Amino acid sequence: MIAYDILICGIGGQGAISLGTVLKLAAIHERLEVVGAERRGGAQREGIVTSNVRYRKLEPGETPDERLTAVSGLIPSGGAHMMISMEPLEALRHGRWLNESSVVIANDFPLTPVSVRMGEREYPTLESLKERLGKITPHVHVFPIDELSRRHFKSLRQVNTIALGMASALGPLPVSDESILAVIREQFPDFETNREAFALGKHTALA
Amino acid sequence: MNQLALNEKGRTILAMGNDAIVRGGLEAGLGYFSTYPGTPASEIGEGYLALRKEFPHIHAEFSVNEHVAAHGAQGASWAGVRSMVAMKHVGMNVAAEVLHFAGYTGVRSGLVVVIGSDPGATSSTSEQDDRWYSLHTHLPILEPSTIQEAKDFTALAFELSERYNLPVILNAPSKLCHNIGSLRLGALPDVLPAGGRFERNPNRYINLFGGSVANHRRAMEAVENLRKDVPTLGLNRLLPGSGKIGFISSSVNYPYLLEALFLLGITDAPVLKIGLSFPLNAREIESFAEGLERVYVVEELEGFIEFQAKRLLYDSGLRTPVIGKAVFPAYGELDVDIITGRIADELGVKLPGRMTRANELADRLAGDLPPRQGAFCTGCPHRATLYSIVKATGRDAVFAGDIGCYTLSCLPPFRAFDWVTCMNCGVGIAQGLLQKIEGEDLIAYVGDSTFFHSGIPGLINAVQQNADLVLIILDNKWVAMTGHQPSPTTDTTLDGTRMRPVDIKGLLKSIGVSYVRTIKPFNIKASMAAIKDAIRARGGVRVLIAEEECALQYGRRIAREPGEYEVYYQIDAERCQKCNECYIELGCPAIRREDTADGWRYYIEEASCLRCGACHDLCLNSAILRTEIRRPVGAVKS
Repeated sequence: MIAYDILICGIGGQGAISLGTVLKLAAIHERLEVVGAERRGGAQREGIVTSNVRYRKLEPGETPDERLTAVSGLIPSGGAHMMISMEPLEALRHGRWLNESSVVIANDFPLTPVSVRMGEREYPTLESLKERLGKITPHVHVFPIDELSRRHFKSLRQVNTIALGMASALGPLPVSDESILAVIREQFPDFETNREAFALGKHTALA
Repeated sequence: MNQLALNEKGRTILAMGNDAIVRGGLEAGLGYFSTYPGTPASEIGEGYLALRKEFPHIHAEFSVNEHVAAHGAQGASWAGVRSMVAMKHVGMNVAAEVLHFAGYTGVRSGLVVVIGSDPGATSSTSEQDDRWYSLHTHLPILEPSTIQEAKDFTALAFELSERYNLPVILNAPSKLCHNIGSLRLGALPDVLPAGGRFERNPNRYINLFGGSVANHRRAMEAVENLRKDVPTLGLNRLLPGSGKIGFISSSVNYPYLLEALFLLGITDAPVLKIGLSFPLNAREIESFAEGLERVYVVEELEGFIEFQAKRLLYDSGLRTPVIGKAVFPAYGELDVDIITGRIADELGVKLPGRMTRANELADRLAGDLPPRQGAFCTGCPHRATLYSIVKATGRDAVFAGDIGCYTLSCLPPFRAFDWVTCMNCGVGIAQGLLQKIEGEDLIAYVGDSTFFHSGIPGLINAVQQNADLVLIILDNKWVAMTGHQPSPTTDTTLDGTRMRPVDIKGLLKSIGVSYVRTIKPFNIKASMAAIKDAIRARGGVRVLIAEEECALQYGRRIAREPGEYEVYYQIDAERCQKCNECYIELGCPAIRREDTADGWRYYIEEASCLRCGACHDLCLNSAILRTEIRRPVGAVKS
């Protein structure tokens, strides 16, 4: 049984669920089984949003056995092969799902919780967040994804596609770039810009 | 093309659990659908409304509340049309009266009641376990475990409903309703269901005199008929094993359990998967429990299956211990971790190292992070209304809370919200409280949809009993919190369809409210004055209608049809006294703080700002500047 689990996290409005949906649609494109639970932050701002993406594929010649193939919507703690976090604090908050070989891709742009805005709590420094994540897994990659999107595309609209490019480069994912791009072409307007953003993510992650 | 409408049997699509329920109805030839939106079941109604073109014969509606929705579905079933009603778990309390009779009357065509439950109460004020209702409504309960079963069980539920002449409940928790994964489609019916016709059935429909007793008996007999057939229906499945410890599970907990057993290296435990959790069949439970040392029941929320299994085994004389809620919590959501941990403790098995390390590290490294709580969206009219309320009262009042987006006024920075339980707990509790307290101002909140759901009787009572309160109706024209379903005050949908909005003012006048004022929330100073006036005008019910469309819907509308002028708000750093009124007291997420060469400043993040103007109106230093620029010709749709 080939298994690959991705946890995507972020704040309401950052597109974590859409990002998960692209990765799941890519699985349908490749006839992989996929399932995953979503935590929705409600309609409001500030809520934590997560998407679990769980790919399953029988090895050639393997017969299905429900005890081994049953897969729930939720990744158990320590179970994520990859985490994509659209916000740095949320990467650490969801550290429970990582193990020592998990790959972490995190955006470095902080979104301030109300408790911090009110002066009641402090937002940890980026250095401290990186250091703490590094104690869980050595494969932590923090990128200025917002900044990359702003600089290259003059908006934040490409943040998720850039992150997908990074995920593809640092995976390897069980779905191909062709499948991901085919899904993006079907689902979103302006395919050329998205293709560039995907390539930018890949290039940045590999540099 | 809407993928849910594809007539390609065997094709795999990506679907949410709620989509799968929608598709199950389509495959069963559904003709009528009603719902009151509630998380996690809201998308079922959206799904059917989105399919109006492909399935014009399906009547789909957002009803005014669950009681009305359930009656509607019952009526459609009596017309001979397969019908479905969907609601969240607490909606069942509102529909309970209707559904206690639906077993008595039976169905003419299949009637399926979908309940979206919310273990963990992430989107609710309670996590009640609705399955207990069936012990007195006599309605069978299906509990799908996967997205695929959510579709297959929904389609099957209609057949069961007709075969046993009872409405059938489909109970799905939020971690199934909102899961997204593969779904294999079945066939759509070749022939679309025809329109219905009413047929008199006085024995079932007129519950008077001895009739209700006869119908009570018939409903219970129908349950017994189904109970006998359970082993032949294939809804419950045995995963055989040679181990002496057995497990019974249902719903999403079944795959959690299998994953937990896998992680613990337990490969020989017999597992009974329950798809139909009411009624259970004694023979089936007995033959599973016989010869086992003990049986664990893994179910979310309360021990409904455990209770029935214990009772059935007691009657059969089998004394195999059945252990459920003594081990697995009866509150909160279950997950693979909790189940793995509890089984490891019980059986003295070691937890997988990966899980132990992950939890230890996470507790140590991420235990102290600042929490995130909900906040009003940028540009939300409720934020402005709450700011005005807090400033007008100095929080020196009793604040009667209710259910809707404005529930977030319990959080910082507003904290002007004293209770929330069920729908319309605001005025309802307030008007009783006021009979026994003196000298305190009372402000009650209610949203437009909540008010129409069940708030009118409470308000009439408050008027008749002369309750001294200010009711603020936060009318944002949508059922916003559940994803913008139309409310009775919606006048135009986003696609331009005209609705027939209820005239709130006319309604208030007719029930005897003489003090009714409208406020425009973004006009902070005027709103504060109106709130103070309403408080001062003591005696009887005074109503303020805070009328402004939900910012998210307004934003969507404006994106389609931009106005003639582009408006900008900026903070003039020279004038800004850093008084914190906009940044902390209003708490608008578009107002941000950044370090500069000579210290720091507040600024408005242009891409986030929705141009509501509340900060501009409240700034005491006139430091927030408004600029209007006429858009270039051609940018405005005529």
